[in-house]
Amino acid sequence: MPKIEVPEKLFFELCGRTYTDDEMNDIFPVAKAELDGHEDGTVKIELNDTNRPDLWSVAGVARALKTYETGVVPQYDFFSSKDRTMDSADRVHIDYDSCLGIRDFSISFAAEGCTVTEELLVNLIQSQEKLCQNFGRKRKTIAIGIFRSDLITYPIHYIGADPDKTSFVPLGMTEKLTLREILEKHPKGREYGAIISDKPRYPYLYDDKGETLSFSPIINSAHSGAVEVGDRNLFIDISGPILDDLLLAASILACDMADMGFRILPVKVKLAKDTKYGREITVPYRFQQDATCPVDFVEKELGERLSDQQCIDALRRMGIQASVKDGVITARCPEYRNDFLHAVDIVEDIMIGHGLSNFAPVLPAEFTKGSLSKAEEYSRKVKTLMVGMGFQEMMYNYLGSRKEYVDNMHIGDDKVVFIANPMSENYEVVRPSILPSLLESESVSGHAVYPHRIFELGKVCFKDDADNSGTVTRNSLGFLAADNQIGFNEASSYVNTLMYFLRIDYRLQPVEDDGRYIPGRAARVMCGDVEIGTYGEVHPQVLESWGCSMPAIMAEFDLDLMH
Amino acid sequence: MDIEVKNLHPLEVRLLRHVDLGQDITAQRLVDELDYKIGQCNQAFSWLTAKGCIEEKSRDRYTLFELTETGAQQAVTGLPVEMIFASIRDEGPATLPQLASRLSLQQSDVGSAFGVLTSAKIARMDEEKKATLIADSLPREVLLQHDLIARAKASGVLYEKDLDDDEKAAISKLAKKRGASASTFKQVEKEDVTYVLTAKGAEVKQALLDANITGEEFGLLTPQMLQTGSWKNGTFRPYGLEAPVSRLIPGRTNAYADYLMWVKDKLVSLGFEEFDGPLVVNEFWNGDALFMPQFHSARDIHDVYYIKDPVHCRKIEEPWLSRVAATHENGGDTGSRGWGYTFDHEFTRRQVMRSQGTVLSATQLPHAKVPGKYFGIARCFRYDQVDATHGADFYQTEGIVVGEDVNLRNLLGLLKMFAEEVAGAEEVKYVPGYFPFTEPSIEVHIKHPVLGWFELGGSGIFRPEVTKALGLDVPVLAWGLGIDRMALMHLGLNDLRELFTPDIESVRMRRGN
Repeated sequence: MPKIEVPEKLFFELCGRTYTDDEMNDIFPVAKAELDGHEDGTVKIELNDTNRPDLWSVAGVARALKTYETGVVPQYDFFSSKDRTMDSADRVHIDYDSCLGIRDFSISFAAEGCTVTEELLVNLIQSQEKLCQNFGRKRKTIAIGIFRSDLITYPIHYIGADPDKTSFVPLGMTEKLTLREILEKHPKGREYGAIISDKPRYPYLYDDKGETLSFSPIINSAHSGAVEVGDRNLFIDISGPILDDLLLAASILACDMADMGFRILPVKVKLAKDTKYGREITVPYRFQQDATCPVDFVEKELGERLSDQQCIDALRRMGIQASVKDGVITARCPEYRNDFLHAVDIVEDIMIGHGLSNFAPVLPAEFTKGSLSKAEEYSRKVKTLMVGMGFQEMMYNYLGSRKEYVDNMHIGDDKVVFIANPMSENYEVVRPSILPSLLESESVSGHAVYPHRIFELGKVCFKDDADNSGTVTRNSLGFLAADNQIGFNEASSYVNTLMYFLRIDYRLQPVEDDGRYIPGRAARVMCGDVEIGTYGEVHPQVLESWGCSMPAIMAEFDLDLMH
Repeated sequence: MDIEVKNLHPLEVRLLRHVDLGQDITAQRLVDELDYKIGQCNQAFSWLTAKGCIEEKSRDRYTLFELTETGAQQAVTGLPVEMIFASIRDEGPATLPQLASRLSLQQSDVGSAFGVLTSAKIARMDEEKKATLIADSLPREVLLQHDLIARAKASGVLYEKDLDDDEKAAISKLAKKRGASASTFKQVEKEDVTYVLTAKGAEVKQALLDANITGEEFGLLTPQMLQTGSWKNGTFRPYGLEAPVSRLIPGRTNAYADYLMWVKDKLVSLGFEEFDGPLVVNEFWNGDALFMPQFHSARDIHDVYYIKDPVHCRKIEEPWLSRVAATHENGGDTGSRGWGYTFDHEFTRRQVMRSQGTVLSATQLPHAKVPGKYFGIARCFRYDQVDATHGADFYQTEGIVVGEDVNLRNLLGLLKMFAEEVAGAEEVKYVPGYFPFTEPSIEVHIKHPVLGWFELGGSGIFRPEVTKALGLDVPVLAWGLGIDRMALMHLGLNDLRELFTPDIESVRMRRGN
């Protein structure tokens, strides 16, 4: 979930009012936001909707709140669309064929008329970062560069450049490096290099005088890419492989900057390939289509009949202009959003705009029969018997180390499921058996009064070729008893008692080649031809590996084979 | 009075009832009059002194002599010196070895006894090295000793104060304080303590009389008492109810499991059917079927655990694979425009540890009854640093409600019911939420009597991209409850790791509220 920190003063200015913390707690949910903290003039906000990148900035949150409270939909007059192309003067941006297959698109717009303050700069960079990191998947699909437009001469050129023959001084350094050197030497190169390092050419942006703007998506040039407090004229470039994402990011930034007082200057972008919007596009560009939703569907989803006007009013509070004709709502998606995938997305905005508290809870009317799973019923039966025999029920984690689940048990690892990307070696194996969990208990519980009698009913997971996944999860019973004097006979008594009350006819076969048990003092429990479990005296080498100093017996049964 | 008279031991009761103020209380008296053993006397004295019922009046040190086993035999056979004297007198002179074998005595005993006779000039060694008598009676000291042994045998002990000087001298030659088994007498130093009743003791005595407690009450009820019916002839001694209790270690269920069981029973009582599934799932069911785009940030390598082998499952069930893929790409027939990217058919088969309980809901959808209600408490796995609030694996409680006409208001009704029935909430608040697979999405916040306001769970109506793609053309309410926090509170814990502790003692002592 993105989190942003915004200056209280700027935030309240953009909201057009101030809020107390309680008021923020009450109003924030309309933007699926939570107040995460408020101190020293900074408001911390957590944004929960990962499909609403427009809300990940101070201007975005303020816009949503202000619109909700005033019911006035903000209007932006700088957007081109398929029906209208804004004047771009001499501002032209050309993408060349050489970038295709490398990073297909680069688009841009410019802004002027507002002096960049410290506060504004910090917030602009924060918005840029959130868009690139969260929405742009760590610059993979969106990278944004902000430049001082006074230093730029149009047209701007975007090419796939030779990594070894193209060089410039990157931001944060003083020497000229080739693009390939930047990947090796610059911190941003090391951080984001994997996005393009395997490509034959690297994305490169420069102006008509040949001055470098950036090695997108890695780093700006030190020359024009260092925006400072006091700058008034900015140029924003956005690159990536998915055009709609870039247009949305451009629209979000443009609206945010407009809200903060900039005048947005469109740029004509000549794309390198055909798109559904043509080969030429003037940015910012409204690409979203109107969405529709029948009023009946709203009622079916929300369980409440809202009038046409109520739907329209609710949507307006969410910043959406809507109309109703023949029982169908047509909603105009705001330029800074692109989250209307289905009519249900309109319904949710109507729900929020109408106010969640205006919907009275009512229980579902239809009768359904409740029941526990067969496995749960059976395990409760087994649990009752184990407790009756004096055992303490335990519950364990299912992830553990190779040492615990394999090495200490003196078994092979051919059946064991390993994690490919463990966070630590302590959690790199899915437990194939309950027995190591019980032995861990024994190893850490020397201080607990003996005898120890413990058990767990839980899941185990191991490889099984017969299954589509190559693994299988089973419900299992494991138990262990440890005391000064304990042995196979006592274990047999427990097993016999359990089997009697579970009505299982069983016979025993000797266990062979199992490092967990003392040879000759362990049995396989057979039900017909099926092995349902094993039990016996724990081998001293296992006890030694676990650091246990008391003799023990243990048993494990596959419950799914028993009922 | 701080003494509960019914808690007094019978030995105390009988002593107190037997004595009066001003009387001397001695062990001897109790032995004589109450038939106490010496050990019982000492117990009664020590308990009653501690309680302040009696106090020490005086101490009397004295010495006594007890016959040893050797002495008891000598009382029958006579002392070795007597035996030698009689043997020489009756059977004639003999060498010392002859005497020893004649009388079955140790050579050394014969030697020392003969020494006694020679020094008293009663016997001598003749030319043939044979012991011969030279007088016809034993020395006076031996006679005295004979007499002392006889007296000791009759009375059990001899008190030093009852002996005259000659007797004292005579007995000292036969007595030893320690290692006396070969001697005739064991010399014992003793101390008699005399107690008297205190004012408090008198008070307790009166209370005993008032309560009619005699000390003759029954202790344990025995099978014999039942067989003979003797229990009818008396009363039972009341026991001290506050006596220290010895620890019992029972077989027990786990308190956390009890809580989960309670939640399950609650949900079953509300008409929900339990579902379950495997721990290893594929990306298809863990995310794709839930309409989470394959590039979604929560599906990153740093959020989900991958399986090392097999990396992929063999196949994904059709028609679900094709339908879900189409839904991601262009909405398929779900009425959505989809995510607009090319669905990765290899990625979808990649195997992961189940990262969300909603997987169970997704896999249930193709088989769901209409109407139907389902729930599961599912172990889930997240790529998280393990700490007090994050476990490597943990339980999620999830469920769905399937019905032709279920809607948002039903969802709110359901959440309200959970809040009240499962969480015991005082107040409920709903706020819009966000989950990739539901729209609308609702979070429910509750005011708990102890925990205050917190988020109980998330919910929503499954997106048609989820339900329709899986062949279900009716609304499905989906919900999840974060019950870990309530479980911790229920168990009086504040660290999630404690829920799965291997520590036996800690689990033994754990109890729910």
